[in-house]
Amino acid sequence: MLQADKTTYQSWISSGEIWIWMNAAAVGISIAAVGGLLGLIAARGLAHFWPADIAAITYTRESGTEAFALGEMIESERLALIQYRDATGDTTEFPEGIEEVDRWLIKTGNRRVDPPDFQWIYNHRISSISYPEAVAVFERMEWGNAYGELHSVLENTEVVASGSEVWPELESRLERVEAIRDEIGDIEQGEFNAINYDLEQIRLERRKLELDDAVAAAPRSEREADLTAEEVLLNRRYHTAESTLRTLIEQRSRDAIEIELSTGQILNINLAQLVRAWRPNQMSVVDKLVLYGSSVWLFLSEDPREANTEGGIFPAIFGTVMMVLLMSLLVTPLGVIAAVYLREYAKQGPFVQLIRIAVNNLAGVPSIVYGVFGLGFFVYFVGGNLDQLFFQASLPAPTFGTPGLLWASLTLALLTVPVVVVSTEEGLTRIPRAIREGSLALGATKAETLFKVVLPIASPSILTGVILAVARAAGEVAPLMLVGVVKLAPTLPMDGNFPYMHLERKFMHLGFHIFDVGFQSPNVEAARPIVYATALLLVLIIIALNLSAILLRTRLENRYRGVES
Amino acid sequence: MIFFYLLWVVAPIFAGASVEDGQHYQLPGGVTKFLDVNESNEIALRFTAEGMATFFDVGTGAVRDTVDFQRTLTRIKSVYPESATYALLDDAGNLNILRASYPISFEGDTRSIGAELDYLFSDRWLELGDVVDFDVHTVDGTLTIAVLDGLTLRMNRFSDTEPGFGLEFPRTREIGLEQTYDRVLFGPRGRWLFLLDDTGVVEVLEVSRSGMIKPIHHRRVASETVNVITIEPLLGRYSLLVADDQQHITQWFLVRGEFGVALEPIRRFHLGADVTRILPEARRKGFAAIDTSGSVHLLYTTSERILTVHPLREAEITAAVISPRSDILLTAAGDSSINGYHLYNEHPDISWSALWSKVWYEGYQQPIYSWQSSSADNDFEAKFSLTPLLFGTLKAAFYAMMFAVPIAIMGALYTAYFMAPSMRRIVKPGIEIMAALPTVILGFLAGLWLAPLLEANLSAVIAILLVLPAGVVLLSFVCQRLPERLSSSIDGWYGLLIVPVIVATVAAAFSFNPTLEQVFFGGDAAAWFQNHLGLHYDQRNALVVGLAMGLAVIPTIFSIAEDAIYGVPTHLINGSLALGATRWQTLIRVVVLTASPGIFSAVMIGLGRAVGETMIVLMATGNTPVMDWNIFQGMRTFAANIAVELPESAVDSSHYRILFLAALVLFLITFAFNTVAELVRQRLRTRYGNL
Repeated sequence: MLQADKTTYQSWISSGEIWIWMNAAAVGISIAAVGGLLGLIAARGLAHFWPADIAAITYTRESGTEAFALGEMIESERLALIQYRDATGDTTEFPEGIEEVDRWLIKTGNRRVDPPDFQWIYNHRISSISYPEAVAVFERMEWGNAYGELHSVLENTEVVASGSEVWPELESRLERVEAIRDEIGDIEQGEFNAINYDLEQIRLERRKLELDDAVAAAPRSEREADLTAEEVLLNRRYHTAESTLRTLIEQRSRDAIEIELSTGQILNINLAQLVRAWRPNQMSVVDKLVLYGSSVWLFLSEDPREANTEGGIFPAIFGTVMMVLLMSLLVTPLGVIAAVYLREYAKQGPFVQLIRIAVNNLAGVPSIVYGVFGLGFFVYFVGGNLDQLFFQASLPAPTFGTPGLLWASLTLALLTVPVVVVSTEEGLTRIPRAIREGSLALGATKAETLFKVVLPIASPSILTGVILAVARAAGEVAPLMLVGVVKLAPTLPMDGNFPYMHLERKFMHLGFHIFDVGFQSPNVEAARPIVYATALLLVLIIIALNLSAILLRTRLENRYRGVES
Repeated sequence: MIFFYLLWVVAPIFAGASVEDGQHYQLPGGVTKFLDVNESNEIALRFTAEGMATFFDVGTGAVRDTVDFQRTLTRIKSVYPESATYALLDDAGNLNILRASYPISFEGDTRSIGAELDYLFSDRWLELGDVVDFDVHTVDGTLTIAVLDGLTLRMNRFSDTEPGFGLEFPRTREIGLEQTYDRVLFGPRGRWLFLLDDTGVVEVLEVSRSGMIKPIHHRRVASETVNVITIEPLLGRYSLLVADDQQHITQWFLVRGEFGVALEPIRRFHLGADVTRILPEARRKGFAAIDTSGSVHLLYTTSERILTVHPLREAEITAAVISPRSDILLTAAGDSSINGYHLYNEHPDISWSALWSKVWYEGYQQPIYSWQSSSADNDFEAKFSLTPLLFGTLKAAFYAMMFAVPIAIMGALYTAYFMAPSMRRIVKPGIEIMAALPTVILGFLAGLWLAPLLEANLSAVIAILLVLPAGVVLLSFVCQRLPERLSSSIDGWYGLLIVPVIVATVAAAFSFNPTLEQVFFGGDAAAWFQNHLGLHYDQRNALVVGLAMGLAVIPTIFSIAEDAIYGVPTHLINGSLALGATRWQTLIRVVVLTASPGIFSAVMIGLGRAVGETMIVLMATGNTPVMDWNIFQGMRTFAANIAVELPESAVDSSHYRILFLAALVLFLITFAFNTVAELVRQRLRTRYGNL
């Protein structure tokens, strides 16, 4: 028996099964890592919007006094005793055998009123946890959430509701404020924006007139008079809009609420400062799901607030989409023409071989190098010269001689050209000779064959290439930091002012948003959920793009199977 | 094209300087004692020994304005560290301080520039008595005048001075000297005084905040047999440039050593002629030297470059100056004529040695590698050594590859050779999708989630490294003992089977972390490494970067290596198996050997990616340019450095061009890796074709 065991053991060693298992472990680690990462992002990103219950925690402070905290329980952590002692300076004796302590991170909110807005509470200090139904979350425009009980609703500092009517009262008044807020937004984004834009155009027009020596005196003064008249008109429009806006702003801040905080303090919040309010502890799962949906929608559709740590990410989504669209417009012809030339027209030889190696190499060049190139060549060299030639009037303020949407798209187009070239070439190679020859035999020219036969058949692979390029571009951040992305763009690159697309403007980008909010915001703890949510969105977009590319490729393969048979 | 554009931007930094003869004109009589040029290179100012101050056009020599002080001026000095401020001393030992200003006015679109010379404080001249030499220093409204007079050194300090008001109530201090000196010079920020004599003896005195003077160092800066011709301070006045009659200029500065500070010779330039005059530049650590043959040399200290030599038109020079922007040299000859020269010297501060070798920077104890591109001070010596960045790049790539290469290649071997086909169809694209995962997300997870997690659970991570392989071996052994039927049916699914084991191991390690910390590391692993092994622990370190970047690189390597292994012709494998080799033997001796060029090229491409990765490094390290292989410390890589500094650097400055150089280096490195990989891959393709 022992002998038998020994041989099994030896054969087990010599068969190398261990090593096979080791290899399997490597795959396992990869799978676990991918799954774990995606799971982590998804969990954290989605959890952010869930209206968590608010715990009322009674605990003893280190000084021995009783304290009360109201907030969301974010996460718990286990600490070795010595780390706990280091962190708190607490030297009290613990019972024998206890070598670690647990603690909870509580988001207590109420920034500016009752700092800090996040705090650790050790489990052994907690005496009770309850979930009182009356407690509500108040999402404020500034300073994050407030937690407390709604006390009364005020109109022009007069109490109009208290006790049980407060909630219906608050809801109806909040709706009114929202309507006013929308109106204000419309004026600011629409009317004001348009007037300012036109005024700036008039200024530039005038400056151009000044710089242009060829214009004679008479038409010059005529033109100037026109401009002045226009300006007066615009200024009048501006004043009307401004006075409407002022009344609206006044109306907006008519109502206020008073809430009682965990400290017993009364906090007055003007409704103009309140985004939403809800009472999670008495909401059913369905209610919560509804609220969850609206939170997600707000996140996707709103502008950011509070140095990007609150509110939505709409401008970032918009900027990413714009940039990617523009980039695909640029990269598709470039990549397809290059691939067609390499495959259909160029004589296959060492030179084409060299180009192919170069294209492959280009794919391996670090993206930051493209960024450097884009900044130096596109922005400073091309853009600077464009300014000299066409935008003299606005100098010394640069128009195209500064990072912007167009340059970012161009840089990324350059970065992704190899992807499109390789994919298109692959598609062209797969087209059976018979099809080409058939077309040529029917009397079509080479160009006709190319446009009517070859390219349509290769179109799925071109599309695959473009999708992969888009996926790559959407996730790329390093070069964009140099050529056009900013943490907060004042205006979108597209609006109602002629020519509607403003390619010279700077824009926001999801990937950069993650970097900026996660690493350069003043309150990293408060910003973290937003970062996870943004990351989740970006990952979803990219995975969706990649999956569609893979599916396309599979369909394409099936189609050729048909062609060949 | 990218390559050539980068090269085009980078090229000027290695081009030398050149000097071109400019204007020549005659000014009204008198011997020029002192020259200066204004910021915009339009107007120059000259003082003559007869007490005349003349403003004239730099371009034409046309006189703009003349002020006559009606005294014989013996010495004129620039007030350190101000610009366009001058201290004049007359033959009776009276001193006053003047400031030149050049107001710019616009009339319509025409710009005109004025020139005014005013007393900075009042028109009352200060009586200094007998003066061998003096120097004036001003900082935050405190003006200090040091006067050297035989065997005494006197210091007058005026507090809370304001332009327009007289200089009154000085606090005076006086100390006796052991020997006579010929010159006195304020050192950096007025905290030191240098006393120099013509034979090369230098005395360094410390000036305390309250004005106390204390000798701290004394030494000869030339041997007995060598005669010192002239000594001038470099910008910032940390360094003295000593010209001797052996055709050398030597840079000396104070180095803090075991026995306090000491002047040390730092670097020496050999010029081929004796230097009579040294002109320091106003904004950089460069200088010009005029030699006995009447030629001007342009030099730079940090980069140790002698940039150019150019013969001047006159041999006898009474005064000379380099403009504030270091682009014009004006010299005055004895016959009151002025010669102008254009200097084309954009990037003297960079040289091969300054970029890649150790450089002895001012204020350091020994030559070091350092990257420190900017600072708040004006007289700061920029440190542009690319070595720490290259080191950081390689370190990050090294740790990433340490993690990625084994996992990716072993994973590829398993997937291509052992895995059940149905599973492979899912696993391969799954891992390839990971390649598309934006690195900014990996970086953010690494920086904000992984880094604190690792710091708190360091012992768990170490435990995983030890326990995981053991767990795998155990699992392998268990499966071996399973009945034949069962074991053959799980064959090919090991990869999936093992995932729960991995997850369980990791989870267990983390949950036991506090115990492990307690038992092995006395409660805090990071502190233990610091105390016992001297390894400093940063929260964002190479380990974090290695893991995160490894994850980014794994799919790249995996995908290419898997293709290579999968492409190994089946008849080779079948032949090997038929000859009685086990699966493992076949894999190692036949498959890996055949596919090794493909695996090699996969590693090369992965390495190229790791070297150029920006966001992960940017977010997961502290970005400090330290040179240390310690896995628990951060680094600064080329890519991250570019991302951080390029948006802030001035276009076409040396700094800007160096960042382009960094990009070029990065480009070349990855280009080399990729080309090698590509060539190897093509050879492999032909070989498979032949088999």
